[in-house]
Amino acid sequence: MRVERLDEPIRVRADFAGGRATPIAFQRGTQPHRVTRVNSRWEDRVGRQPLYYFACSVESGDVYELCLNAHELTWRLTSVMLDG
Amino acid sequence: MAESRALPGSPARPAAGDLPVVHLDIDAFFASVEQARDPRLRGRPVLVGNGVIASCSYEARRFGLRAGTPLPEARRVCPDAVILDGHYPTYRAFAERIFALAAELTPHLDTYLDEAYGDLTGTERLHGDPIDRCAALRAAIAEATGGVTVTIGLGPNRMLAKLVGKTAKPDGLAWITAADADVFLAARPASDIAGVGPAIAGRLAGMNVHTVADLRRLDVATLSGLFGAVGPLLHERARGRDTRAVCAREVPQTISRETAFHRATADPATIEGMLHYLAERACRATRALGLTARTIGLKLRYADGVGEEGRRTPATPSALDPDVHAVVRALLARLWTRRVQLSHVGVVLSNFAVIDGAPLGLFDAVEQDRAHRLVEGLDQVRDRYGHAVVVSGRSLTLLGTLPQDRYGFVLRTPSLTK
Repeated sequence: MRVERLDEPIRVRADFAGGRATPIAFQRGTQPHRVTRVNSRWEDRVGRQPLYYFACSVESGDVYELCLNAHELTWRLTSVMLDG
Repeated sequence: MAESRALPGSPARPAAGDLPVVHLDIDAFFASVEQARDPRLRGRPVLVGNGVIASCSYEARRFGLRAGTPLPEARRVCPDAVILDGHYPTYRAFAERIFALAAELTPHLDTYLDEAYGDLTGTERLHGDPIDRCAALRAAIAEATGGVTVTIGLGPNRMLAKLVGKTAKPDGLAWITAADADVFLAARPASDIAGVGPAIAGRLAGMNVHTVADLRRLDVATLSGLFGAVGPLLHERARGRDTRAVCAREVPQTISRETAFHRATADPATIEGMLHYLAERACRATRALGLTARTIGLKLRYADGVGEEGRRTPATPSALDPDVHAVVRALLARLWTRRVQLSHVGVVLSNFAVIDGAPLGLFDAVEQDRAHRLVEGLDQVRDRYGHAVVVSGRSLTLLGTLPQDRYGFVLRTPSLTK
């Protein structure tokens, strides 16, 4: 298991039902990924900007950490946990 | 989830007033967070740390691994372990979420890195039975964090709440009343008593005092003669009486920022750059609490493991980066005397005073005012955009050598405490 720390802008499709965001799918480069499970979610902030983090499993089993900056309404990919 | 349980002999449901103190401990904290983030890690030995283990999962503990074990040794003992560097801002965010949920139990919550004490006195009418309430809290924490578990102990005081919780780890809930404390404590090691650290435990062992029952045979005068002011406390605590109050600390004892270097170094620019960065972080945390530090300390560890510590108390307390860094530099010059590389450095501020707008000296007033205004301005920018948005000139040596994220430089083993 290895963790790659990243800070990439990323396109995410998310459900905002019930007033909270839940990622459904995202595209890294040309590769689309469907979120099979949101394993964990937590909130942090940098300065005054609230950041919402999601540890998401995708179909391959790898776990991607996505971050929603609620102030800028932007998504970033902050880490990938890969097997091997 | 483990069963909630009373100790044998304890009433199944003590009166709410008999359990006024709650102790909450996050099980295998960092490793548990990693297992919550990635379900593939569940059931596997997980080690978090860099150089040494900072936290390990219960699966890894079955191999005898513990926090502080060097990673090469851990790899040899448990080759299948998953080793992760960890990400400390994430752990801090999880701890804040967990403690926010715990704060719904009581406003009097005393929090540490991975544990908290709460005073439940007077909350019975609002929350009802504390055992049921704590069971619900454990479930709420697991739900909110994606599976991070906590162990909760309930008791008549801090020491007993913590000790009874230990009997239920991991993922458990246990309670004990004052009436059962005598029997519960008797067979436990003397080192379980709050205030018995390695030095006192060693002296007690030298006198063939190993259990709490052994400790009870020593009277107050003997304990006072041996251990000074701590003696009477040990006498009381050995009988299950602990009078320490549970309350949120308004003024911490110390605020420290420490880290190991990725590679041991003797480069003065790198060491000073790191110390300036650490001093800056410690000062900002101190100012955020409205405090100034009377005492400024420096910790060093050489590459061969030898450590040095020093502190100085300047005439005027300060939480300004230039003041603190000047003292830290002076301490570095005094302490770093061997021609050996340094592997770890830390800045420790203590002996705090509340900022009260004390008058400045006649001649340094203008200079001090400028320094105040500068750090105030920097604090405002960083409060808004994050610490990493400004890098001070003295820390420029770290640019390009250390990775950065939104929170600042990514240190090898940052301290999270205090």
